Amino acid sequence: MKTEEVRSLGSEEIRTIIMTAITGGAFGLLYGYGFEFSLWLGVLIGALFGAAIGFRITKKPPRMEYPMATFLLLTSFGYSYLLDQDLSQAQQYWAAALPLIGWTVLVISIGWAIASLDEMQRRIQTEAIAIGFAGTAIFVGGYALFQFAGLGDVNVGLVLLVMSGFWLAGKLWTLWRYR
Amino acid sequence: MKSRLKILRAERDWSQAQLAEALGVSRQTINAIETGKYDPSLPLAFKMAKLFKCSIEDVFTPDDGET
Repeated sequence: MKTEEVRSLGSEEIRTIIMTAITGGAFGLLYGYGFEFSLWLGVLIGALFGAAIGFRITKKPPRMEYPMATFLLLTSFGYSYLLDQDLSQAQQYWAAALPLIGWTVLVISIGWAIASLDEMQRRIQTEAIAIGFAGTAIFVGGYALFQFAGLGDVNVGLVLLVMSGFWLAGKLWTLWRYR
Repeated sequence: MKSRLKILRAERDWSQAQLAEALGVSRQTINAIETGKYDPSLPLAFKMAKLFKCSIEDVFTPDDGET
């Protein structure tokens, strides 16, 4: 019987993971700065996401990922420049909505990625999304209870980050289960 | 559900990656089926049976207690 190929990561692949982790960390730093919460938390979670994406890229060569990521970054951070210009209120609303184009592309890209998965990978994703959804619901509901006790408002950007964190934890958990 | 996938694969001297490619799934999926952590869908089970030129019952058998 043939030995199962347990391929270790090569130096090129490790470099890719480090680069995407750094990019993710930088993205997380900007995110933490923009939404005014812990920069360290932003860097940490961004780097983890970056590393996860890098790992994915090493396993399956990207198709639309790079142009999509560039477009996403441009539309996410390009709008802050536009908002600093002397624009009318209506124009500011349009500028503020600009990142939504990037996010829409991201959603379409996720749809394509899910369509390319096999049945077990889809199950893993479904369970990870369910864990992400449940975790976010508990976080939001729990935070609301704390707000009754006098805790301040939470930035919606943090909710997105929490949801992403729970999804990542869910994915790691289900990957471990079906390892 | 018990699977004879590993035995059938070994008889043909196929690696998990080769089998995965022939079935259009990931190597992780093959590994999870072989270790009994994941039960495949009916279409995938039929595909496996067709590939090994046998019936589904030759590849998969119910666990003790299952009907």
